[in-house]
Amino acid sequence: MPDVTITVDGRSFSVPAGTNVVDAARMGGIAIPVFCYHPRMPAVGMCRMCLVQVGMPKLDPATRQPLMDAQGQPVIALMPKLQTGCTTPVSEGMVINTKTEEVQFAQKGVLEFLLTSHPLDCPVCDKGGECPLQNLTMEWGPGQSRFDYNDKVHFEKPVPLGDLILLDRERCILCSRCVRFQDELADDSVLGFDHRGRNWMIVSKSDPPFASKFSGNTTDICPVGALTTADFRFKARVWELSSKPGICTLCPVGCNLNFDMRHDRLMRVMPRENGAVNDIWLCDKGRFGHRFIEHESRLHAPLIRHGDHFVEASWEEALTLVAEKLAAVQSARGGSAIAGLAAPRLSNEDLYLFQRLFREQLGSNNLDHHLGSPDDGDHDDLGGLLAVGKGTNLMELGAGTTVLVFGADPEEEAPLYLLRLRALVQRGAQLFVANQRATKLERSATQALRYSVGGELALARALVRELLERGAAERIKLKHSGLDALRKQVLAQTPEQLAAAAGIAHEQIVALATALLEAEHGLIMYGAEARSAGLALIETLGALAVLSGNVGKPNSGMIALLPGGNSRGALDLGVRPDARPGYVLMPQRGLPAQQLWSAARDGHVRALWIAGLDPAACLPDAREALTAAEFVVVQELFMSETARMADVVLPAASVAERDGTYTNAERRVQRSRAARAPHGQSRPDWQIFQDVAQMLADMMVLPHPRVEAEGAKPAKAAKGAKTAKGQNEQVVTRPPEPPRWDYLTPDEVAAEIAERVPSYGGVTYEALAATGNPGVWGRQANEAVFYDGTSYENTEGIGIALPSLISTGRFTLSLSPRPAPVVKDERPLLLLAQPLAYGGDPLLRGSLLERQLAQPAIVISQSDAEKLNIQNGDRVRIVSAVGELSAAARVHADLPPGLVMVPAGLPGLCLSRIQTGPRTRVSLVKVVV
Amino acid sequence: MFGELVKGLRTTLKYMFRQPVTVQYPEVKRPVRERFRGRHELKRFADGSERCIGCSLCAAACPADAILVIPAENEPDNPRSPGERYAATYEINMLRCIFCGYCEDACPTNAIVLEHQYELSFYDRRASIFTKEMLLVPEDQGHGEPPPVLKQIERRPSPPAQIDL
Repeated sequence: MPDVTITVDGRSFSVPAGTNVVDAARMGGIAIPVFCYHPRMPAVGMCRMCLVQVGMPKLDPATRQPLMDAQGQPVIALMPKLQTGCTTPVSEGMVINTKTEEVQFAQKGVLEFLLTSHPLDCPVCDKGGECPLQNLTMEWGPGQSRFDYNDKVHFEKPVPLGDLILLDRERCILCSRCVRFQDELADDSVLGFDHRGRNWMIVSKSDPPFASKFSGNTTDICPVGALTTADFRFKARVWELSSKPGICTLCPVGCNLNFDMRHDRLMRVMPRENGAVNDIWLCDKGRFGHRFIEHESRLHAPLIRHGDHFVEASWEEALTLVAEKLAAVQSARGGSAIAGLAAPRLSNEDLYLFQRLFREQLGSNNLDHHLGSPDDGDHDDLGGLLAVGKGTNLMELGAGTTVLVFGADPEEEAPLYLLRLRALVQRGAQLFVANQRATKLERSATQALRYSVGGELALARALVRELLERGAAERIKLKHSGLDALRKQVLAQTPEQLAAAAGIAHEQIVALATALLEAEHGLIMYGAEARSAGLALIETLGALAVLSGNVGKPNSGMIALLPGGNSRGALDLGVRPDARPGYVLMPQRGLPAQQLWSAARDGHVRALWIAGLDPAACLPDAREALTAAEFVVVQELFMSETARMADVVLPAASVAERDGTYTNAERRVQRSRAARAPHGQSRPDWQIFQDVAQMLADMMVLPHPRVEAEGAKPAKAAKGAKTAKGQNEQVVTRPPEPPRWDYLTPDEVAAEIAERVPSYGGVTYEALAATGNPGVWGRQANEAVFYDGTSYENTEGIGIALPSLISTGRFTLSLSPRPAPVVKDERPLLLLAQPLAYGGDPLLRGSLLERQLAQPAIVISQSDAEKLNIQNGDRVRIVSAVGELSAAARVHADLPPGLVMVPAGLPGLCLSRIQTGPRTRVSLVKVVV
Repeated sequence: MFGELVKGLRTTLKYMFRQPVTVQYPEVKRPVRERFRGRHELKRFADGSERCIGCSLCAAACPADAILVIPAENEPDNPRSPGERYAATYEINMLRCIFCGYCEDACPTNAIVLEHQYELSFYDRRASIFTKEMLLVPEDQGHGEPPPVLKQIERRPSPPAQIDL
């Protein structure tokens, strides 16, 4: 946009045209006070706080040229009344006065008027100390009120707007920031105004009340203490808190947050601004779901099994026992009899040392970060290979961007992406949502493509076919192979056949293909439902990204929504049976988690180390395997089902008790810092791995069982079929001496990762602390006007975005398609494990969200329900080839026939008992009582 | 010379028959001034409720960081103080306190007052931390009415925050 020159309080400077007066003045370093205006939301001009005097150059009616006075200056015609700055866009030559007597009189008047219905109970108000109303009154307001206290409007003190948010109506200044946030940003229109006059108030319009996953943000942007969280109510004054920068590990977004601590206790969690990740927002799961770190049931000391009970032991004893037992198993049966699982929420340092311990010290490749349940699916390599390029910032994207969300439910899998994608659409991007069922994001889509049940692969192929027909193949600049096979496969069917199989009109497919092809930036996001369709679909989506030219550059590529906060880190750093850190394939594969349980049951795997995962909770196979295994070490926060079956239980420090880095879905590495002392005697995971490795190194002289050197020559594709076959030429050289196990701090581990893992080059703690160029990043001096109490400025580092692997040139992309997975089962319905934000995550314990956990239910479509005469609440049973499961039925009008949806991960409803693979076919029976 | 000696002894004799200036502390205690700043007390309202609303402004004002307040929410049926908030923990470290009286100035409800008790000595450092139980005056020694902002005056019981759907 062209710049226009304006004059604010006598200072002239230029700002982009279309900017409103408040923002424009801010660019010139002049603060105009606001209450209702928020830079992330369209202006409404409700509070009248931003009244300013606006003047325009007077035009000669005849020539349309500015009139000049005797001194040659343009004549300024002041508008007869004050204007609200937030709703007035700037124009060329505009003159704005913010400090005249008239403006000051108006500001004082507005503040005095707002305070007539404000109780001024600041000493007991949770907002006190970070309250815009307090600050603005101090700076712009009158010193005293002419209003008698007893004439003020008084309401009963707080009314709950929901489980999490309380409303104090007498403090509310009715700026509607919360209503607009819910309507416009979160797309949950659950708040509204009711009554009139002095009774005008905020109400919740939904049932259950305030049903939104983003409700906590309304308390941040509330400019007064009207909205407070039940989580932080009267816990402390804000100036007493010390904020410790952390990263949320509850989902793959990797939101930046602050743990606000007092006396080593967690008081509240607040978002930390990071434009490239979470902007200034935080979902309720991240905000309220961190109470687990100080839950009373945390493990506080190492436990050793004596018969059928545990005895507390010292770390020395426990670690010695672990090392001795592992060494015994290793020497008796070799490294392949030992297996390790690490949770995808552990930090990069933990995961890296875990795989080093197993590969280098124990000689085992049996590593994974999955549970080993039937629906685990394959390791997602494409999300790294074709990841969004370095320099991606969703905040900068708008018109010219096409986003395809395929088989994902971002609101549940990675809630913050809902806000980010909606903001993209509002800035002019095109959003296509392809799914087999209705998701909330669909409402914001430019176009929603509802493919038929099981029709996702046909849709992806139809899109690829469309692109190939338009000659997209000639434009691929990357090293690739298998294009002809792909062409052959997709051209085998006509567009009409594919469209029919997908259940989507051909024109829609063409429109989407055109949008992807013409987009300046293209993003493809896929989630759990797409992954459950198998690698064939994911690779076709990858081909789609490549063919449309949307890979290997900033702001374009694929974003995989994987479970856990650091699945991408686990994949990058080799906590997988088939590849070392940096996707360097191994000639010898270990056992993936899925094969682990049967191997352990049959006695091939004798010792297991499980860090942070709880397979025994829901997997009967895992329970058997854990019983059969000779020695089980569990490293956990809580006494999980798996921990109960362990021989040694080691207490681990939680995310808030240790330093570490985490890699998010966009492959941005971010650093989280210790906020409190470890609970009891618990230790950071990396330290436990190091201590055991040190003992093992002292105990036995193990020839490092490494045949191939990493980094000597980069491996070829890390993609699908190749991974499975592992037929890559590897240069066999003498491995360099491995580093010793003497890390003092996690940053030494990070430095080693930066040195040894090619794609993590340069990701040191020092580099992670950078916050970008001053002036570009960070806030203006007077932005407190907007952000007071809403979030924290990020001064601790915005992380480093890794380049997508394909752009490093070390990998070749294989486009050769794989056949669609064949499901032989004849059962009529497809089972869909629905990932839920408030599912059975054990980390939600102790939080207010426990009350909102999903209830066990079998969700069926209206037509299936009618066919089987099932009513809401009837008990139904779903039967698969391997088992059955019963729960109350919930009839969902928006679900397509042929689909059965069951919340995933609920402790009371173990889906893995009936799953036969990533996709399970089931039949439905009504249970007659 | 003799004259000076007599003059000096006369002064001595004069003071021999006067009331002594010293007091026999601790048997006899010197009265203090009205505005003397001694040991703190946490006051109550006349109805027996605690004046302290747990706002921590005293702790914020304290230049010696001697005060610790951990607030909590009042149970609506059994409030300890008027309003929504009270101090669950209130502690003053008397070894840190410099008796400047800033806490008194900061207190919005005149809950904390530096009174006239000045005998503050301890055998160990832990004993120097005065808890809320030690600082609170007995329930029957309250005074004054809660300020209107903390009272439920003319509160509109207004309709529930959720409208019918």
